[in-house]
Amino acid sequence: MSDDYKFDTLSLHAGHVPDAQHGSRAVPIHQTTSYVFRDSEHAAALYNMELGGHLYTRISNPTVAVLEQRVAALDNGVAATATASGMAALTTAVMTICSSGDHIVASSRMYGANINLLENTLPRFGITTTFVAPDDLAAIEAAIQPNTKIIFGEVIGNPGLDVMDVAAVAEIGKKAHVPLMLDCTFNTPWLLKPIALGANIIIHSLTKWMGGHGIAIGGAVVDGGNFHWGNDDRFPTIAGPHYAMNEINFHEEFGPAAFTAKFRAEGMYNFGPSMSPTNAFHILQGIETLPLRMQKHMDNTAAMLEFLSGHDAVAWVKHPTLPDHPSHELVKKMLPKGAGSIIVFGLKGGRDAGKAFIEAVELSSHLANVGDAKTLVIHPASTTHSHISAEAMVEGGLSDDMIRLSVGLEDIADITADFEIGFRAAARVAAKAAE
Amino acid sequence: MKHELDGANIHIATGGLDFDPTKPVLVFIHGSGQSHLTWVLQTRYFAHRGFAVLAPDLPGHGLSGGAPLTSIGDMADWIDGLLASLGVAQATLVGHSQGVLVALETASRHPERVAALTLIAGAMAIPVNDALIEMSQSAPEKAFRMMTSWGHGPGAHKFDNTQPGHAFLGYGRRVMAQNDGAALHADLVACNSYDGGKDAAASVTQPSLCLLAGKDKMTPVKFGRKMAEQISGAQCHVFERAGHFLPAEFPIEVNDAMAAFLSR
Repeated sequence: MSDDYKFDTLSLHAGHVPDAQHGSRAVPIHQTTSYVFRDSEHAAALYNMELGGHLYTRISNPTVAVLEQRVAALDNGVAATATASGMAALTTAVMTICSSGDHIVASSRMYGANINLLENTLPRFGITTTFVAPDDLAAIEAAIQPNTKIIFGEVIGNPGLDVMDVAAVAEIGKKAHVPLMLDCTFNTPWLLKPIALGANIIIHSLTKWMGGHGIAIGGAVVDGGNFHWGNDDRFPTIAGPHYAMNEINFHEEFGPAAFTAKFRAEGMYNFGPSMSPTNAFHILQGIETLPLRMQKHMDNTAAMLEFLSGHDAVAWVKHPTLPDHPSHELVKKMLPKGAGSIIVFGLKGGRDAGKAFIEAVELSSHLANVGDAKTLVIHPASTTHSHISAEAMVEGGLSDDMIRLSVGLEDIADITADFEIGFRAAARVAAKAAE
Repeated sequence: MKHELDGANIHIATGGLDFDPTKPVLVFIHGSGQSHLTWVLQTRYFAHRGFAVLAPDLPGHGLSGGAPLTSIGDMADWIDGLLASLGVAQATLVGHSQGVLVALETASRHPERVAALTLIAGAMAIPVNDALIEMSQSAPEKAFRMMTSWGHGPGAHKFDNTQPGHAFLGYGRRVMAQNDGAALHADLVACNSYDGGKDAAASVTQPSLCLLAGKDKMTPVKFGRKMAEQISGAQCHVFERAGHFLPAEFPIEVNDAMAAFLSR
């Protein structure tokens, strides 16, 4: 092979070569907790990070490693680590970098659990966050303090669909020597590989489009290998002596993979947020068709945008590819293949009409997930973002009447017909309210 | 560890333990545009098995300061000078790729300093395409990509890796990008202009082990075999499925072969 395999090929093959003993073409599910050592020398080498390999499934597992290597390949990272969920990925990534007294600059317009972790949970451990609008570059730069260790945001915000200018924010981070960590759940590497634009750490909820079938919870952290942890003394637990393994210095020992080495040696070891091998297998099956599914998601999203934008029952529609979206110009440049398959919209008749719509649809599923092969709808204000304060809702650009649509892969005519059923129910509620 | 040499601050990986010159010394010499990170899966392993490990970043590479050296001869003298400055009378040299040329030349120029040789994925000469030499100066990122792609075997291209979650290609490119901007060009010119390999190999009297990669596109295995034939009494082992970055692609097998050789 004289050049790298391309994206579609890597989606199918990366991370796995059939083993010599059995030749299994599909990735085997290594449903085991532990691994027989060759001898005591081998055991000692694994425990001391002298060699790669598996010693206990909380730390690593052969099936999970295939998934990790596949995600690293698709995102052009130097390494990836899979976790039990996307939130486990984010929490462990933060804990790998930050200690008590450290500070994070984060987007104010993100998934509710991301906000909750930063706003309410981490302060209990001495890690504080300043929230800023993801499109306000001056505010991001101004919020950086001497103890800031991470800039964090979502490429496509959930559910407000604000788009971050990755290259511009990465440049701010580079100047301040602060890594840019991005939640890339909504874009997947098929739409954007942010490491190429200067992002340093990628967080995925693999539960969503990557897995794509709503059958397994999982997350991943991809290490861009492009942040120089040792440039100053800001990251002493990565680029200084660490308590483990005879005061190992991850930066000196593992170079561009220092973050991942620490994530696995400390995060997986001590916090234990491991993914089950069976979930890794399920998610791998999904990734095999990621390019095919994403193209269909984009096609159906474009069709749904046309349908919703022209419909009398709809009060407003928001999607980054629409000309009236503030990120429209940025999206044309940064996300040429599409800006994800989440659409948010409001119905004439407001919140009650929206509730009627969600309860009336017969094909679309009312549930908490996104990125399933099936079309999903939800009312964020009463569900995913119900724990967020009223002020944060406004700051996050969320309105009470917003419906979040995750466009699936069904025949587009069936999705629009289903929506007509919902619209009729919404209209009845709106008419009654007007009486 | 950090070490001052010829006015430059040099980084030397010691495998996570303090350098102890009373133990048998193993010196790992990296290849063109690389650093001590070539040897991630050898340095800690051998340091914790009774050896004093030194994996220096050549000047302008990895975490070392200084300007890149411009000839294989200078690099050989630098290795000798480094060992002298650390009080090491004799060491086993382990070279990869360009590091094989440096190890051979060090053994030729400073035979008293060299106890034994392990030559990994190398040959007696490493001619470099003019276009790549030019690219290393005009578009180094493109050169990193090309060399990393060519340098890895079929398993690595499928992201098969003994280190869970790690990706050879992305990692290899970042390792190269961490060097001084002039490092790769200086290395490639040094390799291309070096013609002393055959004589150096013929002069070797120390015990030698050649570890070669069957899928090596940078230093094809037939040239590695010629090197092994040229060195009196050299042992030779070919890893058929490996690419040029053999120490990372097949670390367990490489370490086993080295351990057997070192315990001879």
